[in-house]
Amino acid sequence: MITLHTNYGDIVLELDFENAPKTAANFKQYAEEGFYDGTVFHRVIDGFMIQGGGMTEDLEQKPTRAAIENEADNGLKNVTGSVAMARTNDPHSATAQFFINVKDNNFLNHTGKNAQGWGYCVFGKVTAGMEVVNKIKGVKTGTKGYHSDVPVDAVIIEKVTIAE
Amino acid sequence: MVYPSPPSNITMTTYFIADLHLHEARPAVTRAFYQFLQEQVCAAEALYILGDFFDAWIGDDDDRPLGIEVAQALHDVSTQGTEIFLMHGNRDFLLGENFAARAGATLVKEPLVVDLYGCPTLLLHGDSLCLDDHEYQAFRRQVRSPQWQQQVLAQPLSVRRALAEKIRAESQSMNALKAEDIMDVNDEEVRRVMRAAGVTRLIHGHTHRPARHAFMLEGQPAERVVLGDWHNYGWCIKADGQELTLKNWPIPTA
Repeated sequence: MITLHTNYGDIVLELDFENAPKTAANFKQYAEEGFYDGTVFHRVIDGFMIQGGGMTEDLEQKPTRAAIENEADNGLKNVTGSVAMARTNDPHSATAQFFINVKDNNFLNHTGKNAQGWGYCVFGKVTAGMEVVNKIKGVKTGTKGYHSDVPVDAVIIEKVTIAE
Repeated sequence: MVYPSPPSNITMTTYFIADLHLHEARPAVTRAFYQFLQEQVCAAEALYILGDFFDAWIGDDDDRPLGIEVAQALHDVSTQGTEIFLMHGNRDFLLGENFAARAGATLVKEPLVVDLYGCPTLLLHGDSLCLDDHEYQAFRRQVRSPQWQQQVLAQPLSVRRALAEKIRAESQSMNALKAEDIMDVNDEEVRRVMRAAGVTRLIHGHTHRPARHAFMLEGQPAERVVLGDWHNYGWCIKADGQELTLKNWPIPTA
């Protein structure tokens, strides 16, 4: 159980070590290292997802560890409340940034091991605090530099705690 | 159905480096380069290497470990989504498609104009601007000719190694590493190439004189940003949607 203590409230995540072992372990390690402390949900789109865990309030990217293998072919779907890893166009480029789906985003699911179909790896779900996620998804957003959908008032992950 | 762009962890950042002169005799610089890749370039959109990346390059078939390891390090970065662009310098003009492929990089020719977050920017190694160094310009015309290069690359590796040694022994320009031994750019040529490219910003290396030079060009504020060579310090330019910074940091000697 991993709790994100945000300035909007707590979000509790249960990681799926059985179906996404590498991804869950990677996320847990960042949490244990305190990596997510002080990062923000920098991209928030109502009806889609809230994304964060990679940048400070100034939208400075925090240096991460190496990218991990994509485990999106694990059968887990990007349904409302699921947690998945962000990545670049390269299927195996996920590092620390993650997102919480606020809708069933089927187009993010794995359909095949090719560039278009690899999908986004779901590695856990929200077990408590979905009302906090729903508060966050509705915040006012705008453009900041080259970033869009940035919350006008920062949504900050102040601390992350881990309980077994 | 139009879907929103998927959750991406790429940063809107572009890095520029040049004149690392990577060589087996300077392992601290190579280590500093690997550190730079891991700590600064991670998940950046692009990395431009503007020449003299290697102190010498006698062909992609050279089996020295340095070339192989550096290609691997670049490849690892490219798999994380960073585009890597390689430009020839006056030392490593024989870098070819084979190395580029192994490094996950794209060879680019100069002059190259890129749209850097809304600002058209001209990229050069910089040696073409040093018009006052006549000996060097004659040398450059020879070694940049495709026929000359093909002829050289057709020689066995051992012959090319000997030729590289000969050049190092004979050409002062080819040996120059200190800024005072490398002639600076010709200002008129700088203005000419910037006008021709239609830009108000130029980024280059080669002269080992890192600096930001502001001036007026055709009534507009313009800037020439020069990268430093990697010796006691690592140097880079970091550009994003908000600003462009010339950065340097000490290279540990141990």
